[in-house]
Amino acid sequence: MSGLQKIEQVLQRTSRRRRLDNALRGLWLGIFWAAILFLLALGSYKLLPVPVEILLVAGCASVFIMLAGFVLGGWKKPSMPDTARWVDERNQLKERLSSALELEKEPTGSRWKELVIGDASKHAEGLSLEKLLPLHLSKFARWSVLILVLAAGLGFVPEYRSKDYLQAKEDQEIIKETGRVLAQLSKRSLENKPPVMQPTEKALQAVNETGLQLAKANLSKDEALKRLASVTDKLNNQMKEMAKNPALRKMDKAIRQQDPSSNTPNTPSEMQKKIDDLQKALGEAADKQEAMDKLKSDLEGMKQKAAQMASQDGGMTDEQKQKMAESLADMAKQAQQMGAKMPGLEAAMGALMANQTDFLMKDLDMAMADLEKMQQMAEAMNQLQEQLAKMGKDLAEQLKLGQANAAIDTLKKMQDQLKQSSLSEEQMAKLMEELKDSLKPAGDYGKVAEKLAKAMSQSKSGKNGEAAESLAAAAKEMEDMLGQMGDMESLMASLEALKKAQMCIGNGMSFGQCNSRARGWKPGGKMGKGGFGTWADENGWMALPQISELWDNDEDTRNLAAKGISDRGEGDLADGLNPDKVRGQISPGGQMPSITLKGVSIKGQSQVDYSQAIATAQSDAQSALGDEKVPRAYQGAVRDYFDDLK
Amino acid sequence: MSTTEEKIKLFRDTYSKVKGEIGKVFVGHEEIVDGTLIALFAGGHVLLEGVPGLGKTLLVRTLGEVLDLSFSRIQFTPDLMPADIVGTNLVMEREDGRREFQFQKGPIFAHLVLADEVNRATPKTQSAMLEAMQEKQVTAGGEVRRLPPPYFVFATQNPIDQEGTYPLPEAQLDRFFFKLVVGYPSREEMTEVLNRTTESNQPTVEKVLDRETIMDLQKLVREVPVASHVKDYAVRLVLASHPKTETAAPIANQYLRFGGSPRAAQTLMLAGKVRALTHGRFNVALDDIAAVATAALRHRLILNFEAEAEGITTDHIITEILKEVPRQIEMAEA
Repeated sequence: MSGLQKIEQVLQRTSRRRRLDNALRGLWLGIFWAAILFLLALGSYKLLPVPVEILLVAGCASVFIMLAGFVLGGWKKPSMPDTARWVDERNQLKERLSSALELEKEPTGSRWKELVIGDASKHAEGLSLEKLLPLHLSKFARWSVLILVLAAGLGFVPEYRSKDYLQAKEDQEIIKETGRVLAQLSKRSLENKPPVMQPTEKALQAVNETGLQLAKANLSKDEALKRLASVTDKLNNQMKEMAKNPALRKMDKAIRQQDPSSNTPNTPSEMQKKIDDLQKALGEAADKQEAMDKLKSDLEGMKQKAAQMASQDGGMTDEQKQKMAESLADMAKQAQQMGAKMPGLEAAMGALMANQTDFLMKDLDMAMADLEKMQQMAEAMNQLQEQLAKMGKDLAEQLKLGQANAAIDTLKKMQDQLKQSSLSEEQMAKLMEELKDSLKPAGDYGKVAEKLAKAMSQSKSGKNGEAAESLAAAAKEMEDMLGQMGDMESLMASLEALKKAQMCIGNGMSFGQCNSRARGWKPGGKMGKGGFGTWADENGWMALPQISELWDNDEDTRNLAAKGISDRGEGDLADGLNPDKVRGQISPGGQMPSITLKGVSIKGQSQVDYSQAIATAQSDAQSALGDEKVPRAYQGAVRDYFDDLK
Repeated sequence: MSTTEEKIKLFRDTYSKVKGEIGKVFVGHEEIVDGTLIALFAGGHVLLEGVPGLGKTLLVRTLGEVLDLSFSRIQFTPDLMPADIVGTNLVMEREDGRREFQFQKGPIFAHLVLADEVNRATPKTQSAMLEAMQEKQVTAGGEVRRLPPPYFVFATQNPIDQEGTYPLPEAQLDRFFFKLVVGYPSREEMTEVLNRTTESNQPTVEKVLDRETIMDLQKLVREVPVASHVKDYAVRLVLASHPKTETAAPIANQYLRFGGSPRAAQTLMLAGKVRALTHGRFNVALDDIAAVATAALRHRLILNFEAEAEGITTDHIITEILKEVPRQIEMAEA
């Protein structure tokens, strides 16, 4: 190997090692700056209300900086002359290597070139790369480790967030959750019950969009409430527009008179069919309510006696058995007379004779169940009959009472009749009479009156087919109105949801926690101006102030004497219900002061629906809370208790 | 002389011998002796400055004895005329009785000229030296007469007793290769001086270097290779002394009126080559340039008023420039 080759070999190895050293130095420099960046980001996160994503960004940037440092550090390959100068300087070679490299380019034959290269080669041979360039940690490494340790320590320090910020965050979470729920509810409403009217659809879509906006954007409490108020106004305006239609009021009232929770048929024909089914099932026992009550009472007595006798020592005596058998026979006879089938009684007699007390009790229970079932069926039949009785007899009455489903049913029947060619003159006259009477009440139902009049005119002209089509159009118009009713209900449900959303956001509670069943619009649960009637009206959309104010109830009358379904007098409390005031210690979370009352037992079956009683209790609780009658420390517990009532 | 190695060996041996011989008479001041010899082998002139009695004249005279060259000493006085240096036409009577003008060469016509207290002569007389130092020729009596090569001028001057003296002009100063400042000897050196000069045994020197050898060795010096970055370093040093330029060092901008000329860069280069050879190397190093920078530049930098007012010397400025100018550009940037 020539002297120059030796020099070049040494320089190449040195160059590679220098490059690696530069890359490592660049890496540590990158780690240093990355650590500083991360420490600054972490410090900012701990002190300032910045999102946690800043740490992720800082982390990614740090990794990038480290890699960039390594790559940039090792990017430039040191040239041979540069390396030669570097080695000359580090090893005090007095520019031997660099001069040799330069002279290498000189034309051969120069003795100086040989001398310089030879001299440089001798000095290059003795070079140790490890001593010349030991790979070691740069000064940045120490600082980097220190900064990383600082950052790690800072990670355990809890971040400082002001109360206002935490509150704002909590509010935002609540707003987002409320928005999500609101969007889901409105979407479900649009999907399950598509609105008939386009403005309703737009209003409900506005609710959905508002819900989505709340869920996605970081809105403040004020902004969220503003948006909710805006969309609430939109819905209210839409409801006001729709409520101007007097037909809707009538229809709603008619619907409310039915029990919305039960599967009550809407049309007279359906009701009649149901009644017939029940009649068939009950047979002769259908109209023997008192007999069933007596039989039930006897059966209860029998059960008690049987239980007593079975528990006494020695079991039943023969005499007791005999008496019981006679009683059972008597009851079986009563059932037979009623026309009711009670196989349990016969089975009980058999068990009694066989001294099988357990089977006796079971058979008696079975008989009791059969009897109760019959009673329920009878009751249901009675209710249906009452409702059927309330149904309008003819089209005019149905329209007057707002019984839209019944009116539609009647119109369809009329339509079928007109399509028959074999309608007698008398029947036709009756039909025309009915149509004529219906014209006036149909005036409240948009174009229904017009359609009916058209049908009359067409029928008089002998165009029964066209008349039937006109009646079908009238029925369709009625169905559309029913659809509008549905829209009103959807709007009301959305309004409820919006109110709940406003309450939740205003009070800083999650949607599931708060319950905006704010019954009544004034403390005390009193109805707003104009709204009166039964308890049922309080739930309806008609009870909304902006709707109830539109109604003129002058023609409506009410029973001033009755106060609710069960008369409770003038409202004075019985002596036993007057509370004794107890001064107790207020300890939030602990047991509240208790008041012992002597209650008056009201015998008999309650005539008030359970849900209505709860609604009343909740309303009273709400008013008491609103009037600051509950100590502040216990308001939450009281509110929660009454809200949880179902 | 045949091979380059032999020449190099001869150079080193000769250098050592000359230095040794000088050292028999001239005590200490090794850097002054080295500077003088560097200038000699580079073919340059030297200005020696120092207070009286330090051996400036002795050094040059000893050098003259060691070198087998013609030597002349000119004592500059205020009344010295150019003709006293250069020579003049004299009326001479021939053997046949006829009279004619014959040019009598002045003391300047020697290989080695000692110009003692050069700053005492008038500028006119000093300028007579100028042509001789630079052109290696004189014009006298309408005729140009070449001076015998190799030609060296060793001038001395006294930094004190400046009254009645004529500071050398910049043009003449620039023609000196080196300006060497002779300082006081150390205690040991002074003791040795006493031993050698006040006792009966007076040291004698031998002639060890003749004219042809000097000229060969001067040619050898010029053959020494210089790496580009070393050359670049010399250039950057000189450029750093130029005030109000992009390459100026801050201290140059502050204290200098004028910086070094290209002659300064030539001096650095030649001196560096001599030094490399004397240190047993075949190439010039950055250290060589840095080592000779002070001697090469100190008389070439012109101080401004601020420097003079603050008592800043050119030596200080050169030291600062050496600190500020990086040895290698790439390494400086790294």
